[in-house]
Amino acid sequence: MKSIKLSLFSLTLLLLMVTGLSGLAGGAAAEPNSGKTYVIGTDITFAPFEFQDVNGKYVGIDMDLMEAIAKDQNFKYEIKPLGFNAAVQALESNQVDGVIAGMSITDERKQKFDFSEPYFESGVVMAVGINNDTVKSYDDLKGKKVAVKTGTEGYTFAKSIASKYGFTIVPFDDSSQMYEDVKTGNSVACFEDYPVLRYVANQSKDLKFVTPKEAGASYGFAVGKGKNKELLEKFNTGLANLKASGEYDRIKEKYLGEDAAVSVKQSRGELILGSIQPLLVGLGKTLLYTIVSLFFAFILGLIFGFMKVGQNRFLRGVATVFVDLFRGIPLIVLALFIYFGIPQALGFTMPLFLAAILTLSLNAGAYVTEIIRGGIQSIDRGQMEAARSLGLPYRKAMIKIIIPQAIRVMVPAFINQLVITLKDTSILSAIGLVELTQSGKIIIARTYESFTIWAEVAIMYLIVITLLTKLSGYLEGRVRRG
Amino acid sequence: MGKIRVEGLKKSYGANQVLKGIDMQVKQGEVVCVIGPSGSGKSTFLRCINRLEDITEGKVIVDDQDLNDPKTDINKARENIGMVFQHFNLFPHFSVLKNIMFAPMELGKMNAKEARDTAMKLLARVGLADKADAFPSQLSGGQKQRVAIARALAMNPDVMLFDEPTSALDPEMVGEVLGVMKDLAREGMTMMIVTHEMGFAREVADRVIFMDGGYIIEDGTPEDVFGNPKNERTISFLQKVL
Repeated sequence: MKSIKLSLFSLTLLLLMVTGLSGLAGGAAAEPNSGKTYVIGTDITFAPFEFQDVNGKYVGIDMDLMEAIAKDQNFKYEIKPLGFNAAVQALESNQVDGVIAGMSITDERKQKFDFSEPYFESGVVMAVGINNDTVKSYDDLKGKKVAVKTGTEGYTFAKSIASKYGFTIVPFDDSSQMYEDVKTGNSVACFEDYPVLRYVANQSKDLKFVTPKEAGASYGFAVGKGKNKELLEKFNTGLANLKASGEYDRIKEKYLGEDAAVSVKQSRGELILGSIQPLLVGLGKTLLYTIVSLFFAFILGLIFGFMKVGQNRFLRGVATVFVDLFRGIPLIVLALFIYFGIPQALGFTMPLFLAAILTLSLNAGAYVTEIIRGGIQSIDRGQMEAARSLGLPYRKAMIKIIIPQAIRVMVPAFINQLVITLKDTSILSAIGLVELTQSGKIIIARTYESFTIWAEVAIMYLIVITLLTKLSGYLEGRVRRG
Repeated sequence: MGKIRVEGLKKSYGANQVLKGIDMQVKQGEVVCVIGPSGSGKSTFLRCINRLEDITEGKVIVDDQDLNDPKTDINKARENIGMVFQHFNLFPHFSVLKNIMFAPMELGKMNAKEARDTAMKLLARVGLADKADAFPSQLSGGQKQRVAIARALAMNPDVMLFDEPTSALDPEMVGEVLGVMKDLAREGMTMMIVTHEMGFAREVADRVIFMDGGYIIEDGTPEDVFGNPKNERTISFLQKVL
């Protein structure tokens, strides 16, 4: 019992240390100053409001506005590209101080957030593929599929007219996936805010407009209801100053004007060369998250595994509940619950890194518990009996006789779990964790080159996992030979 | 005063009562063979004598220590009670030598040199001095069981329990194991042996106990039990096996 308490204590300590260190690393990037650094959530892909340029820097109308306002009002901030839905949830659960993500001001949202003065007049428009000659009005959508991005005004509008015009809605979490669906012809059209579609049409030359834009909502900067009043005031004052000085129009023109810079179309070779480096960084993160969370999963597995094979009925019960619980919850639900749910309920901020490691550790921990239990129980009972009959205490018999034999049984299963956890890190891109999959999404958000980038990502996973599988085979062989 | 005293011993697994009330004693230096049909409870009975099985009722006292008394240090008590299993249960990840040295060293009874000397002496005694560096998987069944006996003896116990030590052996290997056990009996070791080897029981045992249905049915000298059985069930069992 004492040693379990001790292990739990050191586990907590280690978790705190790791996350604390990562926090320090993040904090060191921002200049040390006396004022508060606001954390601003945003989308990862919502050109021309926020997107990564070729150098990996976040640019766009929202980003430039934020920068100019912060300069004007003299405050520090840090941008967190979480994805639209994740950013909104993060604001709800107080994980971020504000959200600027081309967010329309709606009555529904006003109940949860306080909005700034509108900084952009928008409105939904429909776009179709450049070569599409059949869809000329909403009437032509009958029986067709229409792509939309969840949580957007485009989604709400499309939904409101879907039954009237008889089309089906295909929802996406990510803008580039939505455009891709139209370009490939899976969907005939998409609905999205006018500036966004206009920018995409400018850049890719793959989309065109056949209907006028709907009268629309306005975009606002949001903070939690009743929270961060001073930030909201600074934003409003800064925005007014920018409008007065003409800076506001310059920013708008930069992205939407007739002579807005069109990014140069890269050849596939250039694209691959340019994307390899950020993808490798993402792969590194994937490996880091995998290794750190498997380390903790292993500790959890040891604790609960031994509780499960032990003689104490209560501890056995506790371990069984642990395994059933975390094996029974899908990883993505667990991630959302830990990152958004718990902080909202308890009112604190959870670092993304901690949430990711916790999620993966608990999930893998449940499986490692079962691997360890299975390994130990696969050892003939006679081994324990022989050791005990010689006068060895349970613990000594376990450590010297049972575990060394059980480890041989467990090694292949451990490698298998390593592969599974490595692949599972990609699921955490749902809460905005930047690992290999999310890195791929971000590059596609900029380049709209799904095929090339997803192929690169897939090959990177394949290479790493194949190497691990080979290692597993090698270790298995060694174990079998003794 | 008996070396082993069993009083009113009952043992159940759930609703299934395996031992239904056993009273007996074993004197210092006595060799007792326990015979009986399978399912009669004889192995369970033997395993109660070093508390590999927790008992439901009654008392098991070895060397004046009540094994089921919470105050008894069961690990200390077991150091004095060697056990040999039907399936040997050697530690497969240790060499033969390490199998024998392990417990005395781990429990602080001997240092490495003493343990090695003791192990080599015991190996010589069971005729396997040349196998010290072999691993269990390289040994025959008879050799494994002889190593297992040496391993139990390394703790220098007062009592040795044998749970069907030759049942898993090919017939040609039974003799070598029984030979080692005979030597042990001659040297005055207190022994309880669950066995199907009637010839061995007749030759070596001081007493033979016949068990059936969770009870001791007959308890006497080999001459009495084999030559002049009184109980119907003993007679019918012996007719089948002799």
